[in-house]
Amino acid sequence: MPYIQSNGLKFHVQVLGGGTDDSGAKRPKVVMLHGLVIDNLSSWFYTLGHPMAQQVDAHLVDLRGHGRTEIAEDGYHVVDHVQDLLGLLEAWEIDEPVHFFGNSFGCVVGLALAREYPEKVASLFLIEAHFSTPGWGEKMAGTLALAAFGLDEVAVREYLATEADRKTSRLAKRTEKLFFGTSLIEDLKTETPIDWLDEIKCPVFAIYGSQSDILDRAHELEEKVPECTLEIVANASHSLLIENAALIKARAFAWLNTHAGTDYVVEDIPVSSREGALGTMGAPDALEVLNQMAAENRHLLDENAIPTRRVV
Amino acid sequence: MPGQISTPAMAESATPAGDAPVITPEAVLAQLEQILLEVVGDDLLMDGPLVMETSFSDDLQLESIEFVALAEELLNTYGEKVDFVSWMSGMELDQVVNLTAGEVVGFVVSSLEEES
Repeated sequence: MPYIQSNGLKFHVQVLGGGTDDSGAKRPKVVMLHGLVIDNLSSWFYTLGHPMAQQVDAHLVDLRGHGRTEIAEDGYHVVDHVQDLLGLLEAWEIDEPVHFFGNSFGCVVGLALAREYPEKVASLFLIEAHFSTPGWGEKMAGTLALAAFGLDEVAVREYLATEADRKTSRLAKRTEKLFFGTSLIEDLKTETPIDWLDEIKCPVFAIYGSQSDILDRAHELEEKVPECTLEIVANASHSLLIENAALIKARAFAWLNTHAGTDYVVEDIPVSSREGALGTMGAPDALEVLNQMAAENRHLLDENAIPTRRVV
Repeated sequence: MPGQISTPAMAESATPAGDAPVITPEAVLAQLEQILLEVVGDDLLMDGPLVMETSFSDDLQLESIEFVALAEELLNTYGEKVDFVSWMSGMELDQVVNLTAGEVVGFVVSSLEEES
């Protein structure tokens, strides 16, 4: 198993790619971070990791408490994840700027890394980027607390024991450990809102689904990040990476061809018109298991304290 | 669980001394079962022996992160002779999720045959 020690924890990582190209030259370095709680590095492994590894070295990481990385009791602030990442970059002996790929919560780690350590980031490719705005930590923590409360209900436990398949049961078990055994929820609550997007120096590509419930972030990125290209995909939700893997692959290849000197063959998938994308009213979000739990157990907590159901 | 678990060495051992090893689908399948047990442990869902039609997702209910570990262990076992990166890079997400034991075995056998 590929495990690396960083910031006092044992991290599960996957490095796809050979280090040098056919001529012996070093290949561009890419780092990929996933979303919160129900996500792990497999969402990159299944989608972009292998195709990209034809021409770059793709470094996939299970964030602390996720996938096969150790569950730390605390340290779930964005700054902690940045320190984790710095330790991993050092362990990989990467001393050149990396092309950072983030999905959902993973994006905020990339943004913070690019702001604090601009010499370490060549570009940011952000899918459904979550980042803290005023009240964000409270909302995220509230949703997670709601799901956690559901996990503790007798009916949910009975369902998991008798009806749920192996995958769901294991997900619930691990999630319960993360919610009840760590400071994740408290750390999210106290996350400081980001007011420094205008300090991001590297080129940024941001892509969102037209049905995403965090579209406000898309417009804030476009407005404040000096070198930001934004695309909004029609009829897509927050689960854009999984729902539209071919589109994301095409955009990622094009991005790396421009910014990392690769020469991937890029599938021609037209960009949705902004008006068309925003005007669509497609299927509702594909609710994740935890979102369902949260929604079903909404009545159990004070609704005024829980203004949103979004988890990832 | 099957009564008898093969060892990795079996995939190349059933040949007369001195001959180049013969890679059989059955031997690779047995090796795959051994690797699955190592990766997933006692929690592996199996009502009977692993067969070519067994699906990693529907039948074994492997979690996505367990499949990552499986792919990695296959890489460790067969090395660069079996180029999983290239193989998987040509797949769509649905194909990866719905992979069967037989598809993996077929790829391993054809790669090893090409190598030899």
